[in-house]
Amino acid sequence: MTAILPLLFLFAAISGTAVVLVRDPARQVFAIAVNGLVLAILFDALQAPDVALSELAVGTAAVPLLFLVALMAVKTQPPEEDS
Amino acid sequence: MSPNARIVLLALAGLALLPGAAAVIAGLPAFGSTIAQYGERINAVAPEARHVANMVSAINFDLRGLDTLGEEFMLLAAITGTVVLLRGRRGEGNTERAMRRPGRAVIPRSEAVVLACRIAGPLTALFGLYVVLHATVTPGGGFQGGVILASGTLLIYLGEGYAGWRDAIRSHWLDALEGGGALLFALCGLAPMLTGAAFMQNILPLGTFRDLFSGGLMLVENLGVALAVTGGFTQLFLEFMEETREAREPEEPGEESA
Repeated sequence: MTAILPLLFLFAAISGTAVVLVRDPARQVFAIAVNGLVLAILFDALQAPDVALSELAVGTAAVPLLFLVALMAVKTQPPEEDS
Repeated sequence: MSPNARIVLLALAGLALLPGAAAVIAGLPAFGSTIAQYGERINAVAPEARHVANMVSAINFDLRGLDTLGEEFMLLAAITGTVVLLRGRRGEGNTERAMRRPGRAVIPRSEAVVLACRIAGPLTALFGLYVVLHATVTPGGGFQGGVILASGTLLIYLGEGYAGWRDAIRSHWLDALEGGGALLFALCGLAPMLTGAAFMQNILPLGTFRDLFSGGLMLVENLGVALAVTGGFTQLFLEFMEETREAREPEEPGEESA
């Protein structure tokens, strides 16, 4: 148990930094989702399962899905123009 | 204001706030040292007084239920504001069918995505219902379950496309869910007053400890929160999608517009 918490803090720091460093919005969505997942596990390890569930539902599922769908909606050019 | 002046202002503000922040951080209890006294008291009292195994629900819906009522209406106000902002000149009239984005190619979905969404969608909805119903027994409750239910409806969109999603989701129903949930919560506060009890006093039978039916009035309040959150999040998503589209009748009703 003593090794898990520092490891989770480290993961939270790494995944949080990754959200900022990743520049492509589509990849950033997944970085946010991973960060949310790490935070959810961290909350659970700190014996806050209610908060962990909220974080999992909002930070890992709802918000990335909304972002992903918004990105899909914003992309207006047909796919053949991309290449 | 020039960039340099901003940086000077930031540095000054930082210097002014630093002693206070340092004092607060130094005064914090050590990491993981003790449970706060309030928590200890709740743990000792709530199972006997409210027959509830999940203390967080006991605090949210009963002991500090008034705070949650405030949060509930905060959510209602935030979503109403967003909807008003996004509807803009489109007005209140929502089309029954999906609107189209002009000049946008329809990208076909892969069968794997459709299959995955058709399997995961109902399972997600089922899990959401489970989390809502077991609010007083296991971690979770109306808010978490409501968000999971709303995510379940998003999986319909990913799997079936926007037209299919709009066929399943009715905007007016979402309004009713959102407003009705908040109303139900408010009524839970007011109804006990009719019997002469205090605002939001738990007058319903408390049920059995660790049973699905435990907590009395909390179950009704929890249901109100679940309805409002499910309706609110889905409504938010719907308005977000409609905002980028223009009303135009599709050439054939079943046509997909992703």
